[in-house]
Amino acid sequence: MADSLNAHFLSRKLHSLTGLVPVGGFLLFHLWENSMARKGEQFYNEHVVQGIGDLLNYKLAIELCLGAAILFHGVYGLVVWWQGRSNTRRFRYGGNLRYLLQRITAFTTLAFILWHVITTRIAAGLDEAVENNLFLHMQRIYEDPVNVVLYIVGIAGATFHLANGLWLLGINWGLTTHPRAQKLSMWACTALFVVITFLGVHAIWGFNQRLF
Amino acid sequence: MATPQEFLFRIKRQDSPDTAPYWEQFRMPYAPGHNVVSALMYLREHPVNSAGNKVAPVVWECNCMEEVCGACAMLVNGVPRQACAALLDGLPQPIVLEPLSKFRVVRDLQIDRSRMFEALKKVKAWIRLDHGGDIHRHAPLISPDEQDARYLFSRCMTCGCCMEACPQFHQNSTFIGPAPLAQVRLHNSHPTGAYDKEERLHAIMGEGGITDCGNAQNCVQVCPKEIPLTTAIGELGRQTTAQWLRDLFAR
Repeated sequence: MADSLNAHFLSRKLHSLTGLVPVGGFLLFHLWENSMARKGEQFYNEHVVQGIGDLLNYKLAIELCLGAAILFHGVYGLVVWWQGRSNTRRFRYGGNLRYLLQRITAFTTLAFILWHVITTRIAAGLDEAVENNLFLHMQRIYEDPVNVVLYIVGIAGATFHLANGLWLLGINWGLTTHPRAQKLSMWACTALFVVITFLGVHAIWGFNQRLF
Repeated sequence: MATPQEFLFRIKRQDSPDTAPYWEQFRMPYAPGHNVVSALMYLREHPVNSAGNKVAPVVWECNCMEEVCGACAMLVNGVPRQACAALLDGLPQPIVLEPLSKFRVVRDLQIDRSRMFEALKKVKAWIRLDHGGDIHRHAPLISPDEQDARYLFSRCMTCGCCMEACPQFHQNSTFIGPAPLAQVRLHNSHPTGAYDKEERLHAIMGEGGITDCGNAQNCVQVCPKEIPLTTAIGELGRQTTAQWLRDLFAR
């Protein structure tokens, strides 16, 4: 059994799967739901936070699974990161640069998620005033321009990591083998990156429409 | 460009595997049509450094002189390539020669490539003749299209340039590197070689195998034989994924 399961191969496959399905899927959903902030404080608090929150069955279980998936993807990602010795200074190719960026954005994303979860989800759990008006809470966070920059960098890092990770998944699972297929999937992933980064920036703008 | 009076070389030398490397400069009078190997041959005849001291001649390896054997791979001005195919005319000076950095140095520019051959053994990069079948029958036919595709991979000369450029291949990693993976692609697609396809795939599904590729795709950029290494890696991604599913559900 142990042999046919192939723990090493399984871990690698789980690493790319957890990145795509729970974590990447949630990122898409999360940026989309928050892009509705442009509809205003009342709509956001009632229909996005309350409305979608009410629709989510087994919310705590979902959150725990998501946390476990991020933890596995992150910890196993550290193992993968440890195995590489980036050499972009000697070999200045696009693919090599994306290899390095995938590793840098892994760290920025992990740090951003930690900070974001502590200052929003956990803050709301500790303080009822925050939980009752998440819109106002976010608006206050974005009053500091440093936070706006950190959020844009954090979100763009995460969306790059997802889009580039999807391109890598295509090769690792043998869906895109030929250079032409890999070039086409690069275009598709670039489009995905642009669209979801736009959603994220749109969400930030929605909370504080005097920003841009 | 004005013809230079002489060539200036900066060579990274190392007296033995365990001693520290050092740099030494050499000069050679200009002559047209030199390549790095012919220059090293000149320095072997005139082992005098640019300070005028007689030193031990620089050690290097070469064999075919036509970029098919892979023995003279080294860093020429930082680029992993075959010394015999590196023409001096047009190279910026000083011409910097270093051994490939991913392998153990034996002496000067000579490196120990045994890790590559161990990898070829690990993935069974050969066709078994004695496979229990009737060897007196005609060999199975291969379509011209498949012949063309396989020919690209058969050009590998195990020079190590792809490993030199690979961020996942280094002295502390177990990754077998792009070249042996391409040989799995080559031998799996041979009608008789396919008998051992499953064994080859299992050999690259563990630690140090195909999963350790980071898809930086430097290998395909530097390969002197223009082998479609990343295509092989993508195809092996498909073959290993299918093999993994077969192992899980069809045993």
